[in-house]
Amino acid sequence: MAKIDVEHLNFYYGSKPALSDISVTVQDRQITALIGPSGCGKSTFLRCLNRMNETIPGTRMEGRVLLDGQDIYAPDTDVVDLRRRVGMVFQRPNPFPQSIFDNVAFGPLVLGMHRKENLADIVERSLRGAVLWDEVKDDLRQDALSLSLGQQQRLCIARAIAVEPGVILMDEPCSALDPIATLQVEELMKRLKENYCIVIVTHNMQQAARVSDWTGFFWLGELVEFDDTQVIFTRPGQELTEDYITGRAG
Amino acid sequence: MTRETFERELQRLQDEALVLGSMVENALTESVEVLKRRDMAGSRRLIAHDHLINEKRFAIENDALVLIATQQPMAGDLRTIAAVLDITHELERIGDYAKGIAKINLMIGEEPLVKPLVDIPRMAEKARDMLHRALEAFVEQDVALARAIPAEDDEVDDLYNQVYRELITYVLADPSTIEQANYLLWAAHNLERAADRVTNVCERVIFTVTGEMVEMDQEDSGVESPAHG
Repeated sequence: MAKIDVEHLNFYYGSKPALSDISVTVQDRQITALIGPSGCGKSTFLRCLNRMNETIPGTRMEGRVLLDGQDIYAPDTDVVDLRRRVGMVFQRPNPFPQSIFDNVAFGPLVLGMHRKENLADIVERSLRGAVLWDEVKDDLRQDALSLSLGQQQRLCIARAIAVEPGVILMDEPCSALDPIATLQVEELMKRLKENYCIVIVTHNMQQAARVSDWTGFFWLGELVEFDDTQVIFTRPGQELTEDYITGRAG
Repeated sequence: MTRETFERELQRLQDEALVLGSMVENALTESVEVLKRRDMAGSRRLIAHDHLINEKRFAIENDALVLIATQQPMAGDLRTIAAVLDITHELERIGDYAKGIAKINLMIGEEPLVKPLVDIPRMAEKARDMLHRALEAFVEQDVALARAIPAEDDEVDDLYNQVYRELITYVLADPSTIEQANYLLWAAHNLERAADRVTNVCERVIFTVTGEMVEMDQEDSGVESPAHG
C-alpha cells in the first residue's frame, strides 16, 4: 500500500537545482533505501518528506508530496503534526543531555499524549520497540549520553516511535556505529517495518541490499532507477546503476 | 577505473575457468582417442589426470568465494562469479564423462573392437567444438553465440541414435558382441551428456550478460545408461 506519493518534485538551493522531476511511490510497512554518491540529492529528497528543508534559507520546492493522500505542502498543513507523523533519525545519535526516560518522554509530553496513556507505559513500549528496554530498564534515570553510540541511536529511534509516527526517515543512521551496533540497528529496522514505513539514506550499499525492500538510485539530482532491491542489486535496468553499485562510477 | 584490483581478480578467475575448460576439452578428445587406439596405458593416465581437473575446479571455487566475501560484488560482477562457479561445475562433470570413457576402455580390455569407431569420435569432436565455443561466448559475453550453440546438440543426439542403431544391428547379428556393444553405448551416452552440459554453460552465459534465466534445454534423447566417471 502506498504511504507516500511524490509527484514531479523539483528542489533548488537558491538557483541551483538539487532535485529534478522526482516521482516515486513509497510503500507502507516496507523499507525503502536511497543510494547514490555524495551530493546526488538523496538526503535533500529525504528532508522533503517532512519539510525539514524549509529550515534552510533560500530553498525552493515544486511538485507535490502526498502522505496518506494528503499534500504535506498544502497551506493548511500543521508542520508540527507532520513531523510527529514523519519522524527522523540522524547520522550521529543526538539524544538530549537528559535521562533515558526523559529523552523518550519528551515528544509524548509536548504532544500531550500522557493525558491519554501513562507516560511510563509509553516509554516502556517505545524502548521495547527499539529493542533497548532490556539493556536500560534497570536505570531509566541514567544519563542518555552514558550509553554506547549504538544504544544512543536506538534511543533516538525509541524517541522517534514514542510519538507514534507512520513514517520513520533515517539519514545514514549507522554511519557512526561499529559493525555490531550497525547490525543491531538493521535488525531493529526489519522489526519496525511491520508497523512503520521506513525510508533510509545510506552510503553503504551492502546495508541497502541487506535491509531494504525497495531501492532508489540518485545521481546528480535525478532518480535514475527505483525498483525492488533484489532487482537493483542483481540485474539493474540502467547501466548507470550497474556502474555505481559495482563501484565503477561515482 | 575505480576497482582495478577487483577487475584483475575477476579477470583472473575467468582465465582460470578457461584453463580448466581446455583441460576438459583435451580430456574429452583424448578419452575417445585412447578408446580408438585401444591404449590401456593412455586410459590409465587419463583416469589419473582427472584429479587435476577436480583440484583446478576446487581452486577456482575457492577463489570465487574469497572474491565474494572480500569484495562484495554486485549485479553483473556477481552474476559473472556465479556463472564461473556453475560453469566450472559443468566442466568438472564433463571431465568425469571423459574419465568414464577411459574406464570403459579398460573394461573392454585388449579385445579388438567389433567395429571401427566413426560416429563416437565425431560425437567427441562435436561436443568439444560446442564446449570450446560456449567458453568463447562466456569470455566474449556473446549472447547470440550462447543462444545458437544449444541447437547443435541435435547433431550429437542424432549421432548418438545412429551409434545406438548400429550397435543393435551388430548385437542382433552376433549376440556375443553384446557386452562390448553395451560398453560402447555407454561411451556414446557420456558424450551425449557432455554436449547437454554445454547447453547449461550457454544458459549461464546468457544469465551473466542479461540477468535472465533461460532454459535452452533440448529434449533429452537416447537410452539412459549408468557409465559416468
